[in-house]
Amino acid sequence: MERRSMGMAAKRRTANIITYVILVMISIIWIIPFIFLILQAFDVGNPGLTGNVWPEKWGLGNFAYLFSSESNFLRWYFNTFIIALFACVGQTAMQFMMAYALSRFRFKLRKPMMNVMLVLGMFPGFLTMIVLYEVLNSLGMTSDNAVPGLILVNIASSGMGYYVAKGFLDTMPKSLDEAAEVDGATKFQVFYKVVMPLCKPIVIYTVLTSFMGPWGDYIFAATIAKGSQEGMNVATGLNSWLSTANIGGYYKYFCAGGVIVAIPVIILFLFLQKYYVEGVTGGAVKG
Amino acid sequence: MARVQLENVKKIYSGNVTAVHDFNLDIGDKEFVVFVGPSGCGKSTTLRMIAGLEDISEGTLKIDGEVVNDLQPKDRQISMVFQNYALYPHLTVFENMAFPLRLDKKIRIHPWTEKEIDGLNNQIKKLQEQRDAANEKKKAAIDKKIEFIRASIEKGKEVKGFTNDEIFERVTNAAKVLGITNFLTRKPKAMSGGQRQRVAIGRAMVKDCKVFLMDEPLSNLDAKLRNQMRAEIILLRKRINTTFVYVTHDQTEAMTLGDRIVCMRDGFIMQVGTPTQLFDMPDNLFVAQFIGAPMMNTFLTKLVKDGDKYYVDLFNRKLPVSGVKADGLKAKGIQTRDILLGIRPEHLIVAKDSGEGTIPVTIEVNEMMGSEYHLHVSSEDGTKIIVRIPTINLSDKERENMVPGNVINLAFEPKAMHFFDPDSEINLLAGPEAVNSKGPIILPSEREQV
Repeated sequence: MERRSMGMAAKRRTANIITYVILVMISIIWIIPFIFLILQAFDVGNPGLTGNVWPEKWGLGNFAYLFSSESNFLRWYFNTFIIALFACVGQTAMQFMMAYALSRFRFKLRKPMMNVMLVLGMFPGFLTMIVLYEVLNSLGMTSDNAVPGLILVNIASSGMGYYVAKGFLDTMPKSLDEAAEVDGATKFQVFYKVVMPLCKPIVIYTVLTSFMGPWGDYIFAATIAKGSQEGMNVATGLNSWLSTANIGGYYKYFCAGGVIVAIPVIILFLFLQKYYVEGVTGGAVKG
Repeated sequence: MARVQLENVKKIYSGNVTAVHDFNLDIGDKEFVVFVGPSGCGKSTTLRMIAGLEDISEGTLKIDGEVVNDLQPKDRQISMVFQNYALYPHLTVFENMAFPLRLDKKIRIHPWTEKEIDGLNNQIKKLQEQRDAANEKKKAAIDKKIEFIRASIEKGKEVKGFTNDEIFERVTNAAKVLGITNFLTRKPKAMSGGQRQRVAIGRAMVKDCKVFLMDEPLSNLDAKLRNQMRAEIILLRKRINTTFVYVTHDQTEAMTLGDRIVCMRDGFIMQVGTPTQLFDMPDNLFVAQFIGAPMMNTFLTKLVKDGDKYYVDLFNRKLPVSGVKADGLKAKGIQTRDILLGIRPEHLIVAKDSGEGTIPVTIEVNEMMGSEYHLHVSSEDGTKIIVRIPTINLSDKERENMVPGNVINLAFEPKAMHFFDPDSEINLLAGPEAVNSKGPIILPSEREQV
């Protein structure tokens, strides 16, 4: 008996060691590009792609260039921030109103509507890119005016992402709403005094995801900005520095820009990660 | 005054499923009415229609003489306690109870404080001074202002909603009554079921309401707590003194709490009456068997009229009918006929010997409940009967006899026999308003038309 349990423990230890070795290797591979990016961002030697990993000369000059009037970086950054902010407020509001209506009210065509949205959601969004471009173009919302266009695109279809919120709302007993109604609340008061406070984790999850989408968006933003420096978001703008013509002179600035882009996202996650996990599992497990 | 009148109220769900048929009930002011019935009988649906949480498909609902069919729940001046408490998890107990008060934005008249009156009088004085200096046109306007201030001094101060002091007072008073003062700062999560239900009751209490609705408030509690809370609801009712509508599937709750009980089945009212009426004089077999535990025993047998007297012919033995029941049968002119005889387990008596009017039975199971025995016995032809015998009057020898396999003799309490029509299951002694409980239910009003 004694010997056997010893054998078990040893076996378990070996398995653990193997698992950890694999995990450590994966994380190193995963983290290398980031370390590379950060190191390059602080290299104030040759601004082009030089091929070295360790900076030739340390300094903050690359960042200074980004914030100087020479580059359009601030413009792009601001564009992205505006798009992400509006999209995140709009999407959260849309998704919750949609989810609340689908979870609490019973109306004709409720089920068919949900099915249609489910099927529509299965098509990759990029399929509609050409059409969306044409529509926005005819509305004058491309190239220099890409920002309102991108806000519109981000908010317009966001109601379809109601699943997680609805899953969460479905777990909330209906008698809570009813109790509030009997207590004298209007439907809207029920929504914002009872339902919304209880949905905090899922609201935060929605805010985060809907902020992240446009923040890192490249393909749509690039298509709709059509190469206009005024209408580009940060991903499109930075990418333009990687073109064959620019890479020799802008590579280090690109790396510094990448670091700056990551900062707000990291801050957001540090503050809200507790709710983020609750939100992801809350909707899924309980639903 | 808060009378609740339901007139021909119906609830029809989509797909033509009728949950409540033609519900007629007049609930008097300050009456405590209990809706009781098995699950799916429409009692909760009816309550929710009174609350406004379900639409009324047909008929009218009046509260205080006013038709409220199309009013929102918040405009009906009702309070409701839910089965699962429905407390707001993100609010403390205090805020839970204050919730309806904070939402109430009705304008109420308060008396002015002396200081405020002084202030207003000063204002009038100032205006009068202005008036003296003003021209004709302005004078009229100033007169109007003065008039307005005077009128408002007379009328009292108009305040929208409740002040914080009032909310505090109301909530703490209710908490005191319910014994939850120590929990006011807690969240509902940190409380036991009984405490949560008290909070739910408290939340319903603080509000000014005409009707107090309770939807199975005790069924989530354990048996001991339920008994305790039941007694507390009786006390609470005396304190609040308003109209109560209480829904339960538990006949004990119905019997102990209700001034009147509405016994329902499949969306129909089977009988409305006081607890005593339902127990002593059930209109039909359903009510007879639903009220009282264990369930009433029944025998398909014959009622014989022998000259002036009646007896029941059961297992070839004559069981005499006497007292009120015999008088009732006589008054109705009932002749010899087939009947369904009903007798409650507590109205069967263990006879000393096998004399006239007793039937011999064999004990099959003996359930010792402490204060009483529940004997499951079977007659000679195998009919199952339940007998309830209080233990207090039994001698040791009699107790020893109560073992499975032994034969005992049962006598029927003549006053407590019930006679039902085997086809309709209506009590032969019931009035014309009695509803059948067997076969498709025909309401008395429909019966007359046929």
